[in-house]
Parts: sequence; C-alpha cells; structure tokens
Amino acid sequence: MTHEEMHELYELYALGVLEGEERAEIAQHVATGCGVCQTGVQRAAAQNVAVLAALTPDTAPSRRLRTRLLAGMGVAGRSWTWLAWAAAAACLVAVTWSGVRAYRISNELDAARQQVAVADRELARVRLVLDVLNAPDTRAVVFGQEKKQPPKGTVFVNPRSGVLLIASRLPQLAPGRIYEMWVIPKSGAPKPAGLFPATAAGTAIHSIEGPVDLATTGAVAVTVEPEAGSNAPTSTPIIVAPVAGS
Amino acid sequence: MSDTFLVSVAVWVLSAVLHFKDDSELVDRLKRRDPHAMSVLYDRFGRLTYSIILRIVRNEGVAEDLVQETFLRVWNRIPVFDRQRGAIGPWILTVARNRAIDYLRSVEGRGSERSFELDLLEQPTLFASAQSGLLTLDRQKMIRDALERLTPNQREVIELAYYEGLSQTEMAERLKQPLGTVKTWVRAALKMLRQELGEAVA
Repeated sequence: MTHEEMHELYELYALGVLEGEERAEIAQHVATGCGVCQTGVQRAAAQNVAVLAALTPDTAPSRRLRTRLLAGMGVAGRSWTWLAWAAAAACLVAVTWSGVRAYRISNELDAARQQVAVADRELARVRLVLDVLNAPDTRAVVFGQEKKQPPKGTVFVNPRSGVLLIASRLPQLAPGRIYEMWVIPKSGAPKPAGLFPATAAGTAIHSIEGPVDLATTGAVAVTVEPEAGSNAPTSTPIIVAPVAGS
Repeated sequence: MSDTFLVSVAVWVLSAVLHFKDDSELVDRLKRRDPHAMSVLYDRFGRLTYSIILRIVRNEGVAEDLVQETFLRVWNRIPVFDRQRGAIGPWILTVARNRAIDYLRSVEGRGSERSFELDLLEQPTLFASAQSGLLTLDRQKMIRDALERLTPNQREVIELAYYEGLSQTEMAERLKQPLGTVKTWVRAALKMLRQELGEAVA
C-alpha cells in the first residue's frame, strides 16, 4: 500500500477493527518508526475519541460507582472537596438551627417578661386594693344607689395610697371608646386618673396610686372617652362620687 | 447572617485550593501517586467514560465494572504518560472504549486474540498529539453537525466500528451487504469526518 492508501485506513487501524494484511502492514510501519504512519495513527486516534464523545448519549453513573471505584483503588471513598462541601453544609445547618433556636428562645423570653410584668402590675394593684380597703382612714363613697339605671359601685379614697373604684352594671362601650376616671378638685379642672375597660359582664376595678388631698378633692367621676384618653372630660360623667364634705 | 457568609467564604477558599488548574497538573499529581488526584480525574472524566462504556455494553452493572477497570488501568500506566505532549482525556476515553469492546468481543465469542491488539492501541504514546480541545463543547457540536450529515448507511457502519468493534468483513456479514459496498460507506464517512476535523487534530 502507498501512504495515501494507508491514510484512509488509520482510523480503522486505531479503532482495532482493521484486518489481515492491511492491519499488518500499518502495524509494521508504525513499529519500524515510519513517521508518516505514526503521525497518521496518532491523528486518527485523537479523531476517533472526538467522534466517540460526540456520538455518545450522555448518561450519569450512579453515585455509588464513585465511592466504589475510589475505595477499590485505596483512595479514601470521598474526596476532600466532597468533605469540604459536607462540612460547609453541616456548618450551615448548625448556624441556621442555632439562629432559629435563638430566635425562638428570644421570643419565649419576651413573652415570659411580658407575663412577669403583667403579674407585677396585678400584684401591685392587689396590694393597693388591700391597702386602701384595710386602711382605717379610707373613705368609702357608694354611688348609683339612688338611680334605677346603672352603673353602681363604690369609690374608696385613701389620702396616702390613692383611689380605688369598684363598679358594676357599666354600659357596653362603643368600639374605639374607653372609660376614664377623674379626680375633681373642689376648685379647678378635673385631673385625669387613668383609663380602664369593663368586663363583658359590665364590671370594673380601677385604681390609681398616690396621695390624695381629701381637703381639696371634691369628687371622683368617670366619663366615656376616645380610646387614647382625654386631658379633660368630653362627655357627661356616668359616675359621680362626691368625696368631700362627709 | 455573618456566620453564613463566613461559611461561604470558607467553602470558596477550600474549593479553590483543592482545584487543579489543568490536566497537566493533574497528571503530575497522578504520577506522584496523589490519591486525591484520582478522585479529581474521576470527577472530570467519569461521566463521559461511563456514557461511552454503557452505550457499548448496554448493561449498567457491567458498565460500572468496566469504568473501574478503566481507571485502574490509567492509574497503573500513568507513569509512562508524557504530560508535556499529550492530553489525558482522550487516552482515558480510548481505554474505556477498548475495555468495553474487548468485553463485548469476549462475550460474543469473537476474537479474544484481538485483545492484545486493543492493548497496543491504547498505549499512552499514541495520544501524544491529542489535544484536550477536542472535547470542548464547540468542537463537539461541530462533530455532531458532521455526523448529522452522514447517510443512514454511513452512520450505521460508523456506529458498528466505534460501538461494536466490527471489522468491515463482520459489518458486511451483519448487514448482509457486499464487502465492497460496506467499504465504500466506511471510506466516505471517515473522509467526511476527517475533513471536518482535519485542522483540529493535526
């Protein structure tokens, strides 16, 4: 064969599918150092690989093949890259988990603090109520007895501790409204004495802490006010308990 | 937030440190028997190797065994691979194809004496001029376009040669066609591919 004829056979030779004399002749040329044939076969081998790669449909092997193959060759089953990713993923999970946990704990702590604050306020109120009720110098004023319409109740005033209001049969409030207590001096403008709602049953206990000068105080009153409260009464009082003069 | 960021940075640094810049550096590591290099080699060529072998043997279990055999062979022969002159990818893929063809021939009882020939044809020196650029996406698309232009008969004989390792005589028997006709198809198909790839593999 001439080299030109061989040129057409190098790919088949490199694929190992050439037979008989054709195969033998090229093999001999390559073995005896024929540069043309060596270069030709090398070029054909490269071409064969490129064609093979382009011709072949892509299929992913199973993950276990990698592990098995590397373990079989004495290489640690998993690469450092894999380990690094695994470690990073673990860190990420840990950080996320810690974050979520911290967030939950912080929420629970806030809720607990609020509960404690509520309990503290309730306790202070109960103390004040007991203090006002038990003190010998507390003045009690019953209101509403003479009326057929509600509300009824008692105002307790203690000069050292403050004012306690216990009321029942309070009318239901319209939305956006609240009860406001006033301490009305004998002369001068009524002083705001705190906002309070009523229970569904129409009862309420409200108190303010602080000394009250019985000599100058004329009455304790309650009006219905906008939810934010008012600095001066904006409606006719539904409760008026005269404190002075008894 | 900042913890997450630090983890991302750590991963980036680690993967950058662990990544090999190119095949020749990888070959160096393999020659030094760096076991980690083997896993990089697998990650780079394992999928293509498996795809080629599976297409030939058409059995997943057998294909996995042959992939293992291929990488073991490469690991054992890497000391004679000349990294200055050749690309390792084409070599691995040739070993893979030949292992699969050898298996197919032995199962079908045709010519186990040809094992030795295949063995010779995957000598690392044969890939001295192969460029890794042959396997780039651009080049692969060009070859696929060329393959599309083959006639059905030409395509069939190409697949019989590449995937079944059939000689032209065996193709003629398989296709029940005269040997001369088969040779014409083969010659025309190879000529077209050679012209398409001429400058790429020169």
